[in-house]
Amino acid sequence: MADPKRSLLRAVLALCGLGLWAVPTLAAAFDRAAFAQDLCGDGAAQVRGAEGLVKAGGVLPADDLAYAGRLLGALAERRLTCPADGALLLDRPGAPEGHDALTGAVRPAAEARVPVLGLRQRAAVETARGVVALLTGPDPATRGAGLSVVERRVATVPAAVLDRARDAETDAGLKATIASLAQAAALSSPDLARRRAAIAAVAASPSGAAEARLTALRSDPAYTADPAFRAALDAGLSRVTRAVAIGDGLAVVYNGLSFASILFMAAAGLAIIFGLMGVINLAQGEFIMLGAYATYGVQEAFRRLAPGLLDLYLVAAIPVAFLAVALVGIVVEALILRHLYRRPLMSLLATWAVSLFLVNLVRVTIGTQNLQFIMPAYVSGGVPLYADFVVTWNRLFAIGFAAATVVLTLLILRRTPLGLDIRAVTQNRDMAACLGLPTRRVDRLAFGLGSGLAGLAGVALCPIYSVNPGMGSGFIVDSFMVVVLGGVGSLLGTLVAALGVGGANVLIEPISGAVAAKVIVLVGIILFLQRRPEGLFAVRRRR
Amino acid sequence: MSGAVQTALASPAGPARRAVRDPLVAGLVGLCLAAAAVLLVASPAPYLVNALGQLAAFAILAVSLDLVWGYLGILSLGHGLFFAIGGYVCAMHLLAHGVATTGVLPDFVQFMGWKSLPAYWVGLDHAAYALVLALALAGLVAFVFGLASFRSRVNGVYFSIISQALVYVAMLLMYRNDTGLGGNNGMTGFPLLFGWPMGSPGVVTGLTVAALLTLAAVLAGTRLLIGSAAGRRMLACRDDETRLRTLGYSTTRLKLGIWCLSAMIAALAGILYVPQVGIINPRVLAPDLSIEIAVWVAIGGLGRLGGAVIGAILVNGLKFWLSAAMPEAWPFILSGLVLFVVLVLPNGLLDLVALRPRSTWLRGAR
Repeated sequence: MADPKRSLLRAVLALCGLGLWAVPTLAAAFDRAAFAQDLCGDGAAQVRGAEGLVKAGGVLPADDLAYAGRLLGALAERRLTCPADGALLLDRPGAPEGHDALTGAVRPAAEARVPVLGLRQRAAVETARGVVALLTGPDPATRGAGLSVVERRVATVPAAVLDRARDAETDAGLKATIASLAQAAALSSPDLARRRAAIAAVAASPSGAAEARLTALRSDPAYTADPAFRAALDAGLSRVTRAVAIGDGLAVVYNGLSFASILFMAAAGLAIIFGLMGVINLAQGEFIMLGAYATYGVQEAFRRLAPGLLDLYLVAAIPVAFLAVALVGIVVEALILRHLYRRPLMSLLATWAVSLFLVNLVRVTIGTQNLQFIMPAYVSGGVPLYADFVVTWNRLFAIGFAAATVVLTLLILRRTPLGLDIRAVTQNRDMAACLGLPTRRVDRLAFGLGSGLAGLAGVALCPIYSVNPGMGSGFIVDSFMVVVLGGVGSLLGTLVAALGVGGANVLIEPISGAVAAKVIVLVGIILFLQRRPEGLFAVRRRR
Repeated sequence: MSGAVQTALASPAGPARRAVRDPLVAGLVGLCLAAAAVLLVASPAPYLVNALGQLAAFAILAVSLDLVWGYLGILSLGHGLFFAIGGYVCAMHLLAHGVATTGVLPDFVQFMGWKSLPAYWVGLDHAAYALVLALALAGLVAFVFGLASFRSRVNGVYFSIISQALVYVAMLLMYRNDTGLGGNNGMTGFPLLFGWPMGSPGVVTGLTVAALLTLAAVLAGTRLLIGSAAGRRMLACRDDETRLRTLGYSTTRLKLGIWCLSAMIAALAGILYVPQVGIINPRVLAPDLSIEIAVWVAIGGLGRLGGAVIGAILVNGLKFWLSAAMPEAWPFILSGLVLFVVLVLPNGLLDLVALRPRSTWLRGAR
């Protein structure tokens, strides 16, 4: 094995790996025949060949890289054979003849040995192929695939390879990814000045990943050995840590706000119905589900009738879902609940039966699978604001939707004749009836309003949650808690309670887990009811 | 809840006097005893015996809910919690008993990577201690929750949905593997019952007889309670709590006592249920299951102990049969049955035979 010529090549390649990649004349010595011989050799030789290629990758001419890539690919796919007169590339594994690796001439393969890759060799060969693909790939997809291979073993890839790839890259997204990878690689460069510059660059765009990367550097020997490096790292790290903490805080607030919006949407209808009629509608979750399914129906209708306007389906679904679910609510009220107003506990069971019926009806007619929604541009993606904090459009949509619902519902309750009737009946049903208000009709319309609000919640949920027949049961308990905490018949109380419960859940969750958050919130509500059994904002009323 | 008080004041007082003699309950007690006697001499197919035993456990659970809902006006949508407390403690006893006898650790303990049962399992291999622990635990949880609720006059629908949240939270808690009682898989693989191999015909019959005898005892006991002075106070409290309080009775203490008793009866049902099915998992804590208990009571006949038993046996018998025969249709049948009973037969199926005059409270005073 001790071939002097190959040893020399090895020495040259090793020198390249040691940081002398800036001298192109040395790399020009890439010996194609020796590379082929390495790949045909035993496991150690294969690794040597592959790693040598990676180390020289920053300066090798493109045709050398392409040559090496052909050989490595053939080796990995078992199309490389090694007769005595030089390596052969087969068209397919086991073919009787192949092209000479160096000249391209066709020669018979003649029972020659096919080298096999062991686990360690495979990793080295894969990395080398990744480098070749990254540097010479014809399209961004190939180069991206090469990059992801390189990324896994970035420690073995010299910075020159990444720099060369970044400079040559035309695709902007890929270029940014390569740059960040190169930056990470620079952090572990042997050149301390280069490392300090890399630390400053990382600290300039703070994120959780940057923090982890810098924290890992603290165990680096240079941290204790070099004071300048230590100062640079500590300064960078404290800057990143502070920024990440602020970003995380903003994210918590944002998530709490969006969760509270969903809770409010789910609970607002419940609160109106409960305040007016003393009926807890256990089917409210299923009304939300129906709203989501109505949205799906609108999307399908748009797809069939007006594919060009498909992006607008979410907006068009708002009135449709409201009216459809309001209609279902009015039917339920007229057929069932009307008879149960004096027996609220029985109406609880009746609405539970309705919810069971609706869930299974949807399950049988449409199926149990999650519905597939097209996400228009205005609810997909987001804008990174600060550190790890990203304002996602779908949650912003829910928040905006809930805010609009608050305003509209308040307007309906405060400024319309129906709202006046609802408030009157809520405060004193008997007196309202004496004054000639058609209380039963008010009940029915209010039930429709409450149900329609659940339908709106369904629309708002579509871009965030998975939509299936069982989705309603997920947050129904939470929305009950919001109603109880907020106080009966007070929309404002519902709003405050939703913000409180949503915020508390999101605040406690990272500290002690989602389940503990729910337990703590429930215990908190029970304790709160010790002080104020009527909830936050109790409406004075007689019934 | 000033509104509820207003309603109660406006409603006519319900009948406070009630005959102690109740032919339906007496008949059911007799039936239970007779069935137990038959099982001891004849030996029908084990799966039938097992089904009968499960029905008896459900009937006990229904009676426990009827006691607070039908006679005290408190609808708990969280009775599955107390049932599960009994069930979990029973399962812990069976596993600890198995470990003490065979030395083999249960699967979930090995799954969690523990070398032995955790410290708080100590003593659970003694059946008497496990029984006391289950009842005490159920009673304690009920006491704390009841005290917090009744003291601040949380009533009616409020109480119902808070109890539902309670069972929901307990379900989330038990689904965590870290809670340490089997997580979402629950506990199963019980090897022995009092040293006898689980699932042998003798054990199956024994469990069913025990469930039937317990049901008879629970029925007789609650019937006596309802016929007593305390029972009259319960009815008075149900029909008009404010008036009873004004008359100088402590309704909080009354409600709290009956509430705890009901929880312990529910735990008893759980204790009897788990060895019969051989598994306990957090699904018994699903809010839907707790609502179903109320459905049994409502369908059978609210406010009558016999009605609760009949409802539990009818609905669960139907469920055993239909969820195997036509699983798609069962939810529709159940929801249809609930709506029919709620709308047409306010006092449940017992209305059909009109065994007793209707109570004004049940017909719609609240």
